[in-house]
Amino acid sequence: MWSLIQKRVCRKIQLHSSIIRSCLLNSVSEHQFYYSSSPACNHTAPRSAIGAKKFNGLFSSFDAKWRGSSFMRFLSSQAAAEASTSDGLTVGGIIANNWVIYDENESDWKSHAAAIAQSIHLIKKRLRWKKLISKLEVLSKELDKPDLWDGPSHAGKISREHGSVVGKMKEVNAFEQELFEHIDMIKLAREENDAELESESLNALLVLRRHLKEKELEALLAGEHDLCPCFIEVQAGAGGTESMDWASMVMQMYKRWAENRHFRVSAVEEIPGELAGIKRATIKVDGDYAYGYAKAEVGAHRLVRISPFDSNKRRHTSFASVAVIPILGDDFSHVQINESDLRIERYRSGGPGGQHANTTDSAVRITHIPTGVTASSQNERSQHQNKASAMAVLQSRLDQLEIVRQAQINAEHTQSLTDINFGSQIRSYVLHPYRMVKDHRTEYEVSDPDSVLQGDVDGFILSFLSASLDKDIEDD
Amino acid sequence: MKSSRASLSSILQPVFSLRRPAFCSAAPPKPQTPLHLRPPAFRAALSDLQRWQAWAKTQASSVGSTFSALDGGPDSSLLLRELNWLVEDAVEHPALLSTENKVTAEVAIRAQLEEMYELWRQRIEERRPFQYVVGCEHWRDLILSVEEGVLIPRPETETIVDLVDHAVKADEELREGLWADLGTGSGALGIAVARILGGGGRVLAVDLSPVAAAVARYNVERYCLEARVSVRVGSWFDPLKDVEGELNGVVSNPPYIPSKNIHSLQAEVSRHEPILALDGGADGMDDLIHLCHGAASMLKPRGFFAFETNGEIQSKLVLDYIQNEMEGSFCRLEIVSDFAGIQRFVTGYKA
Ligand SMILES: C[S@@+](CC[C@H](N)C(=O)[O-])C[C@H]1O[C@@H](n2cnc3c(N)ncnc32)[C@H](O)[C@@H]1O
Repeated sequence: MWSLIQKRVCRKIQLHSSIIRSCLLNSVSEHQFYYSSSPACNHTAPRSAIGAKKFNGLFSSFDAKWRGSSFMRFLSSQAAAEASTSDGLTVGGIIANNWVIYDENESDWKSHAAAIAQSIHLIKKRLRWKKLISKLEVLSKELDKPDLWDGPSHAGKISREHGSVVGKMKEVNAFEQELFEHIDMIKLAREENDAELESESLNALLVLRRHLKEKELEALLAGEHDLCPCFIEVQAGAGGTESMDWASMVMQMYKRWAENRHFRVSAVEEIPGELAGIKRATIKVDGDYAYGYAKAEVGAHRLVRISPFDSNKRRHTSFASVAVIPILGDDFSHVQINESDLRIERYRSGGPGGQHANTTDSAVRITHIPTGVTASSQNERSQHQNKASAMAVLQSRLDQLEIVRQAQINAEHTQSLTDINFGSQIRSYVLHPYRMVKDHRTEYEVSDPDSVLQGDVDGFILSFLSASLDKDIEDD
Repeated sequence: MKSSRASLSSILQPVFSLRRPAFCSAAPPKPQTPLHLRPPAFRAALSDLQRWQAWAKTQASSVGSTFSALDGGPDSSLLLRELNWLVEDAVEHPALLSTENKVTAEVAIRAQLEEMYELWRQRIEERRPFQYVVGCEHWRDLILSVEEGVLIPRPETETIVDLVDHAVKADEELREGLWADLGTGSGALGIAVARILGGGGRVLAVDLSPVAAAVARYNVERYCLEARVSVRVGSWFDPLKDVEGELNGVVSNPPYIPSKNIHSLQAEVSRHEPILALDGGADGMDDLIHLCHGAASMLKPRGFFAFETNGEIQSKLVLDYIQNEMEGSFCRLEIVSDFAGIQRFVTGYKA
């Protein structure tokens, strides 16, 4: 064991010196820098710093020291800089090479590298890399303003946002660096005929390849509010008991889905149907990226089956519509609600009330008079708490309307939020005469409706997110 | 007037309530611990508990809408929700119950399984109020201990606390000093008002019933408000003679149901809640009128009062009475509706 470690250390040193050698031999030219400044940024670091930068790719501890001493802040120039191997191979270069991507089991470094480069490319696309860079510049400028901390809450918000952008960019940059480290190692190992090192590095590439495949999915959830918890609301369409039953099946599907994802689920309101099912129900789903995932489910869900409520055993088509509302955090500037604009009513009340009645039902409905938006809650044990919970729903609804309004003003294409149109049919669940669930937006389909109704909706969600997001970005 | 009312109530009491006879022993009654605060000292096989739950569901479902048709009582859907809350209070890890497998698993519960059967039987067959079954009522942001002999606070009454909140925000001087909650019952208003007032306020909570006083004290302790809420036993303003003319505010939800209506109330109320807390005399106005006079002499100038009434008719009667019979005592009188749109509260300020 010890000898192996020593061997590796020796190699690192050799490699180190070989790079120094190559740097010394070649005159300083752009493509040899491990980072070359992107043309978009004209920040140029001092020459001496550039010299030190060369080793960052290989020895990240140097990187930290270097940055710690001279540049405390992650600059947009750094973020935009493109990493490369010692001989100038970049992610763009790898993709341009069009190396064939084989199955993971093929031990071919070019195939792994190409797969990794594609993942990185996709992740950057999904993160809207260029926009992220300009955002970082704007935020950095803000942070540099001397009067920033005069408004501590604004300052806090800016520095949090800056931190989160930097975090995302650093992570991707680290993947690139890692990719080139491994490639350099493999090349070196070949030069030196070191089979052990070569297979070690190849394996490291494979691990990276798999890891990035997962990261691709995560990058789907880079929307501004994706991290938020949310409300999911299901409403029965026209068609009486059959569609109310369908609405409760849909609600059940989301409860299971959320539980499988280890989200916390709590019921906010439920208006039961007269005979079966629900007219409407709302749940709160709490956990990282709850909104990011659930927003993919907005729209009308169609069921085709022989209705158990039809004595003539006819085939019925019914609809349930799903709305998803993000619960925005404290750093979001919420719509101001004036108490005097609210009408608060006891739901399902009747009779003289007060001391006459003893009921544990203290459901409350709140109407925001200027907009007509309503929210109700009935599952809490006190009226006060029902009121608070209905207020939370109301706040989120009004916030969502405001976001949509803003987006329309800015003519921005915020697909997820402008699509709060309940009407459009997104998916069909056919139980008869054949069995299938099919998404009309992506054509993604599954032949086992039961598993889907048991909460297995992730396939639909992810395929929709990647389809819509990747399409969305083409025009960037 | 007031003393005759009290003795009338105590005569009527055993007929309508399970309450222990009051006014007899010197030792204060010891309040019961609500179910959710008892230690999870008992174990049951998960499958047995699930069987209990299934049985309880069937019981609840079989009620349908019979109670609500009969006297406005709970229907199945409400009972099923209560059942969930019973599970929440009685079972240490309620989520376990919805897991399917693990037949061998055991769950920790706060009451013996037999008691769980008995509790739900009482709920359905005897119409024992759910809040007595679990020994608590969630009211505003409080969880108040309640038991037979103490009125279960109503959601409507929560509004009085908001009215106090508005009053002290409009006149911060009201915040510092003495307030009274008359007929405090479980202590609901007294505790909530003390929390609204903050550190500078003090509340005197009065009740004639020693059981109510004991439960109110227990709740005051649970919210660590001993220093700010004192419970006094006696009839209305009698125990407050020492602070005459010094009160910043008076709140009360006095008994206001006309005597003749007591019999036709929802079974949960008429069979189980204390008559002393409900019966307001022939037209239900006896205590309200008494309180109006008391408030006039007990409040400081500009002091605030808020009383709950039986609804539109009583609110108007109280208002008329104050305007005509007590001319000049109060100003800025108002009638405020509850969330069901019923004119429920009368408020005003000492002139
Ligand atoms: C309708 S309950 C209200 C209880 C509590 N304030 C609430 O809102 O939940 C009326 C209360 O007045 C009390 N009470 C009845 N007559 C009284 C009297 N003469 N003096 C003081 N309290 C009295 C009853 O014991 C009962 O607790």
